[in-house]
Amino acid sequence: MSGDPLVLTRRLGWRAGDRRILGPIDLQIRRGECLAVVGPNGAGKTTLLRLVTGLLAPSDGELLWGGQPYARLSRAGLARRIAYVPQVRPARVPLTVEQLVLLGRYPHLRRWRLAPRAEDYAAVERALERVGALDLRKRPLVGLSGGELQTVYIAAALAQGSELLVLDEPTAHLDPRHQREIAALLLRLAGERTVLTATHELNFASLVADRVLGLRDGRALALGGPAEVLREAVLMELFEAPFETVRGGERPVTVLGLEA
Amino acid sequence: MRRPTAVVWLLAAGWLAVILVAPLLGSQPLDLAALAAGDETSGAIFWQLRLPRVLLAVLAGGVLAVSGLAFQTLFRNPLAEPYTLGVAGGAALGAVLALQLVGGAGFFVVAGAAFAGALAVSAVILGLASTRHGLETGTLLLAGIAISLSCSALILFVQYLADFTRTFRMVRWMMGGLAVVGYGELLWLTPWVVLAAGMVLVHRWELNLLLTGEELAASRGVDLMRLRLLVLGATSLAVGALVAVAGPIGFVGLIVPHILRRWVGHDHLHLVPACLFGGGAFLAICDLVARTVMAPAELPVGVLTALLGGPFFLWLLVLGRQR
Repeated sequence: MSGDPLVLTRRLGWRAGDRRILGPIDLQIRRGECLAVVGPNGAGKTTLLRLVTGLLAPSDGELLWGGQPYARLSRAGLARRIAYVPQVRPARVPLTVEQLVLLGRYPHLRRWRLAPRAEDYAAVERALERVGALDLRKRPLVGLSGGELQTVYIAAALAQGSELLVLDEPTAHLDPRHQREIAALLLRLAGERTVLTATHELNFASLVADRVLGLRDGRALALGGPAEVLREAVLMELFEAPFETVRGGERPVTVLGLEA
Repeated sequence: MRRPTAVVWLLAAGWLAVILVAPLLGSQPLDLAALAAGDETSGAIFWQLRLPRVLLAVLAGGVLAVSGLAFQTLFRNPLAEPYTLGVAGGAALGAVLALQLVGGAGFFVVAGAAFAGALAVSAVILGLASTRHGLETGTLLLAGIAISLSCSALILFVQYLADFTRTFRMVRWMMGGLAVVGYGELLWLTPWVVLAAGMVLVHRWELNLLLTGEELAASRGVDLMRLRLLVLGATSLAVGALVAVAGPIGFVGLIVPHILRRWVGHDHLHLVPACLFGGGAFLAICDLVARTVMAPAELPVGVLTALLGGPFFLWLLVLGRQR
């Protein structure tokens, strides 16, 4: 893990009207790391992800990519560097898996070419292989399970060929087996891609993340390795709910305590 | 050959067949032998009346279908098309105002007014779609209905003020008809059709991406506002150009893309040519029916497409509810 920051935020903030949703945040996303953002609903997790993706323009502060301000990069330039998998997506997307993943190649496609190039198809194949979904390639998206859908959306993001992968709640609505598959996938990508993910699953964060950022009310409450952030005291402050550590160590496992 | 490509070629073949056969049919059947022998009456009917009319129908149907396709994808709304969103109504209002206010208004005055009307309504819709709840199916359609009703009311008002001959001209034109003589209208309409279809085709990747949602499209580098401006602008201009010639013809843009998606899938690379050919053939056949079913009287083709389109709209609404 090199300490070279891929993305740097300086006093980054976002407001809706007068209301401060996020910030100020000073954060480094290091090249090759997996950074998980945890925090209660409305803490600003998705806002942070959308800012880092470049979908939102910051109200305050600035964002730097490899030392270069985001503002100097074009929309397409950002897309070649950052791939985003949103949590909220249209319910029925009338495409096949292959068509969806090919659309991940959009930042690399040429407008005046009727057909994508061989290298685009090769990237699609590699991405599907990487996530273990090659057998799904001809299937329509309508009719895939939640876990399969999440997997192919991640494949589309991989096909985009971007260095940074931003995943919003990748395990939302997934059963334990599929959560485990997504975690295994992220661990396989470790070091190869930089990953920024928001999640409500603390044990998932503990399993996949090199560092965890605890957000509350738009501010960074804690930042550090899973063992530093996913502690009972920090979690209490973050979520205002009691947690119990059932297994300590580098990657702690916590459960929600039921006694008040 | 893959299925979508094959279907597009089949549609092209059907389109060509319609262009070749439809001019021969009508209230007065044409004798091929007489036509080939250079019979003057047959020749005049074929070359001056029927062929331009069929060609206008295929152009109009094609551009209406392509516009409907673009509207449905841009607003991610299965019921959007120039007619339901009021763009055709805006063009019609512009044209009617020109007919009333500019004494003996020439074609280009009417066309310019139709452009202005179509673009004005598009701008309103675009502004609405950029608001928080603007893209929800209900909001956009209700706005379209409100715009259409306002335009209709204003058109009625203008007609009320107009004298008898002008009123008749307006009413007849409002019904949507393709009764043209000669090729002037075709020359006028063709570049707009090419512009609209070309603009949609060039943006096929962006439109395909929009199927996966705006958030994902934007994150991949699609400039949504620019896309909407260019595609909506070009298709609205083409609809305005068509309305100036043929009046508002409804529901082609609704029916044709929906049927074609079942045949060629959702890739706009295939959908654009499919809509051009399929929509063209569809409207030419509708027009053939309209001019023969009550022969020698002619039904305006807009009446026929509306008769087909109303129930189709309801069917889509019910189908949408079931999902």
